[in-house]
Amino acid sequence: MNKGGNTVKKFLVFLMTVFAVFVLVGCTATKDAGKEPNDEEGKDAKESTEKILKLNNGTEPKSLDPSIGFDAVSWDPLNNLMEGLTRLNKDHVAEPATAEKIDVSEDGKTYTFTIREDAKWSNGDPVVAKDFEFAWKYMLDPANASEAAFLGYFIEGAEAFNNGEGKADDVKVTAKDDKTLEVVLTAPTGFFPDLLTNPAFFPINHKVAAETPDWHAEADTFVSNGPFKLESWDHDVEMVFAKNDQYWDKGAVKLDKVHFAMVNDSNTQYQMFESGDLDTASIPAELSDQLIDGENVFIGDYGGLEFYRFNVKEEPFQNKKIRKAFAYAVNRENIAEYVVKNGVEPAFGFVSPGFKGPDGKDFREKNGDLVTFDAEKAKQLLEEGMKEEGYEKLPPITLSYNTSDTNKAVAEELQNMYKETLGVEVSLENQEWNVFSEAQKALELQFSRSSFINDYSDPINFLESFITDSYMNRTGFSSKAYDELIAKGKTESDEEKRWEYMYEAEKMLAEEMIIMPIRYYNTVVLEAEGVSGILRHPVGYFDLKYADKQN
Amino acid sequence: MLRYILKRLLIMCITLWIIVTLTFVLMISIPGSPFNSDQSSNETVQANLEKFYNLDEPYYIQYFQYIKSVILFDFGPSIKQPNQTVNDLLGRGFPISFELGLITIIVAVISGIILGVIAALRHNGFVDYLAMGVAVFGISIPNFILATLLIQQLAVNAEWFPVATWSSPKHMVLPVLALATGPMAIIARLTRSTMLEVLTQDYIKMARAKGLSPWKIIFKHALRNALMPVVTIMGTLLAGILTGTFVIEQIFAIPGMGKYFVESINHRDYPVIMGTTVFYSVFLIMMLFLVDIAYGILDPRIKVHQKEGE
Repeated sequence: MNKGGNTVKKFLVFLMTVFAVFVLVGCTATKDAGKEPNDEEGKDAKESTEKILKLNNGTEPKSLDPSIGFDAVSWDPLNNLMEGLTRLNKDHVAEPATAEKIDVSEDGKTYTFTIREDAKWSNGDPVVAKDFEFAWKYMLDPANASEAAFLGYFIEGAEAFNNGEGKADDVKVTAKDDKTLEVVLTAPTGFFPDLLTNPAFFPINHKVAAETPDWHAEADTFVSNGPFKLESWDHDVEMVFAKNDQYWDKGAVKLDKVHFAMVNDSNTQYQMFESGDLDTASIPAELSDQLIDGENVFIGDYGGLEFYRFNVKEEPFQNKKIRKAFAYAVNRENIAEYVVKNGVEPAFGFVSPGFKGPDGKDFREKNGDLVTFDAEKAKQLLEEGMKEEGYEKLPPITLSYNTSDTNKAVAEELQNMYKETLGVEVSLENQEWNVFSEAQKALELQFSRSSFINDYSDPINFLESFITDSYMNRTGFSSKAYDELIAKGKTESDEEKRWEYMYEAEKMLAEEMIIMPIRYYNTVVLEAEGVSGILRHPVGYFDLKYADKQN
Repeated sequence: MLRYILKRLLIMCITLWIIVTLTFVLMISIPGSPFNSDQSSNETVQANLEKFYNLDEPYYIQYFQYIKSVILFDFGPSIKQPNQTVNDLLGRGFPISFELGLITIIVAVISGIILGVIAALRHNGFVDYLAMGVAVFGISIPNFILATLLIQQLAVNAEWFPVATWSSPKHMVLPVLALATGPMAIIARLTRSTMLEVLTQDYIKMARAKGLSPWKIIFKHALRNALMPVVTIMGTLLAGILTGTFVIEQIFAIPGMGKYFVESINHRDYPVIMGTTVFYSVFLIMMLFLVDIAYGILDPRIKVHQKEGE
C-alpha cells in the first residue's frame, strides 16, 4: 500500500466515525441533552396577548359545504364556523341561536322562526330567511347528492323532492320575509329544534353561493355566520379560524384564533401534545392504561353504541331464545374494563346515555338495564331455544367483524365467553370494512359487529334503524308492532307520550334481541393546562364558542 | 436514437393501457362502495350519490370514461373530498412528496456510496464490519420504527427538532433520516460488493502501477464502474420514493401524496385510485427509461438503440 492510499483511508475512516457518532448520539439523546435556551421564547412573549387554541382535526374535512360535509371531521370545524337556527347549550339542549324566537303551531307541524336582527355573515351581509330556504333546498336537491338529505325528510315535500318525484317548490320551507322562516313538517316532530343543530341545516349565504358556487372550497370565499370565520385553509395541512367580529354573540367568544392541524397518526398527535404543539390530543391505545386516570383527561359521553347484529333469517338466530341466550352470556363489564379500556361504559341497554326526556331524566337511567350478564339464564334460554327448534346440536356459528385491533380483541373475548358460558364454539371471521359492510347489508353475515353514531340528539335516531326494510336494519327483523311504536315516537305531539313510546320500543328491542349491545362510545381527550370551556356534546361535534385558554 | 425513443413511447402507451384496464377490472371486482360509512343513510341518498358519480352507468361506459380521463389526464373530483379534483390532490401532494423524496435520495446515495466505498477499501477490517453493521441495521429496521424512535429521542426528549409537519428545513431532518436509512443501506451494500469486484480488476492494478493518485483510481476508475448496479435500482427507488411514502408521511403529518395510494383503495375512491395508479405508472416508466439512457452515459459500451441502428 502506498502513502496516498492511507490518506484516503484515513479520510474515509474519519467520515465513518463522524457518521457513527451521529447515529449513536441520535439513539441515546436524553431529556437533559437538549435543554438549551430556545430562541422562540421572544416570539412567544409577543403572541401571549392573543389566545390561540391549537387543535387537531385528524384529516382534511370532507367538505365545508354544510350539506355535503357529512362526517365528524367536517362537523367539528363547521359547528364553530357556522350556526343554525338553534345551537346546543352547555347542558346539550337545543336553544334558539340564529333564530331569536321559535313559534310552533297548535298541531305541532308548523314552525315559524324569527331570525335575529343582528345575525350577520362574516362579510357583513345580514343572515336572512332566504339563506336557510336556499341551504335546505340545496341539501335536498338530488342533483347535489347530499348524504345528509334524509335528515330533511321531516319537512313536507322533502322526501319527494330528494327521490326525484317532487319539485323544489313543493318543499315547505318558505322565507316569508327577510327575517321570518316558515317550515311545515309532515308530522309533529318534538325534536325538530334538536335536529336543526346538525350542520346539514346551517344556512348558506345565497348571494355568495349564486356568485361563487364553490364558495366553501377555499378560505378566500368562505362566509360564515358562527363564532369564528375561516382565516386560512392550507388543504391537508392546516385550517386557521379567527374570531368572527360580525357574530351576534361575539362577546361570549374568548379565543382569538383556533388552529386545526391535520395529523392522522395517533402517536404523532400525542407527541405533538407532549411537546406543546397541540393543546388537545386523543390517547394512543398503547398508552391508555398509563394516561386514562390523569387529571388532564376529559371523559364524556359520545352518543353511540357498539353492538352485534343477529341475522334473524339465518339459523339458529331465527329463534328469539337462542338470540337472547347469546346476549345474556356476555359479560359486558369485563369487555369494557379489560378489553376495550379507555374509560368506556358497558352497554346494558341500546340507547346511549345523554338524552334527556321532557321530565329532565336521562333516557338510559329511566329505562334501566335491559340486558345483563346472567350465565344461568343464558344456559336455560339456549336449552329452551334448541328444544323449540328441535336442534340436537347448534348449527355452526360464525361471528364476523371488520378488521381492527379492538374489534378483534372484543370478538375473541366473545368467543371465549360463549365457550365458557354456553359451551358453544363460535368461529371468527374478519373482513376489510367495505367488504364487510356490503356483506352485512346484503344479510350475508350470521352474527356481525356493528356501530351506531347519532346524527341528532334524540333516541328515535337510533331506534328508527330497526323498522321494517330500513336501510339501517340489516338484521332481517320486521315487526308491525315495532314499526307502529316508532311511527308514534316520531309523530306524537305530546312529548311525554312520545318518550313513553320510545321507552317501549327499546324494551321491545331487548325482548326481540335482534341486536346485542356491547358498549357505549365515549370521548376521551387530553387537554393542556389552561384550556377550558370546550363543550363536547354527546352528539357529533364540539363547540369552541365558550372555550378559553390561559397562557 | 429517435426511433428508439418513439418505440419506447409506443410501448409506454400500451403498458399504460394494460395498467388502466387491469386497474379498472380490479376496482370494480372488489366489493364495497365509496359510500359505505358508519353514518346513517337510506336508499334514496345512496342512489343520488351513485348517480352523481356516474356509478349507476354500465361498466363499459364507466370504462370508456376512465380511458377518456386518462387520455385527458383529468380524473374529475375525488369522492372522499368532493370539492377537490384528483388533479388538485396530486398537484398539491406530489411537489411535497417529490421534495422529501429528492432530499432523501440525495442523502441516501451520497452516504450509501461513501459507506460502501469505505467498507470495500477496508475489506474485512473493523471499519468494514462497522459500515456493514450500520447497513444491516438500516435494512432490517423498518422506517416507521426508526421514525418513532427519532421523534421520541430527538424531538420529544432532546427538543432539537419539531415532532411533525412540513414547513421549514428543520422539519425535514427527521423524516429524511427515517426515510433515507433503508435505501442508504441497500446502496452501501451494493456499492461495497461491486467495488470489491472492480478493485481486483486488471485495469485497477494497471492504474496503480502507473502511479495514479489513489483518489483518481477510486473515483474515476473504480467507482464509476462500481455504480452500474446502483443505477439499475435507482429507477424503481426513485419512482417509489418520489411519489410519496404512506407511512412516513402519515407519521410526520407531511401532506404528500403517499396517503392517496392507500386511502383511495380503503375508501373505494375510484377516481383517486385511477389517478394515482396512472400517475405512478407514468412516473415509473419514465424513470426506467431515464435509467436506460443513464447506462449509455456511464458505460459507453452499452448502446441502448444498438439493434434499431443496424
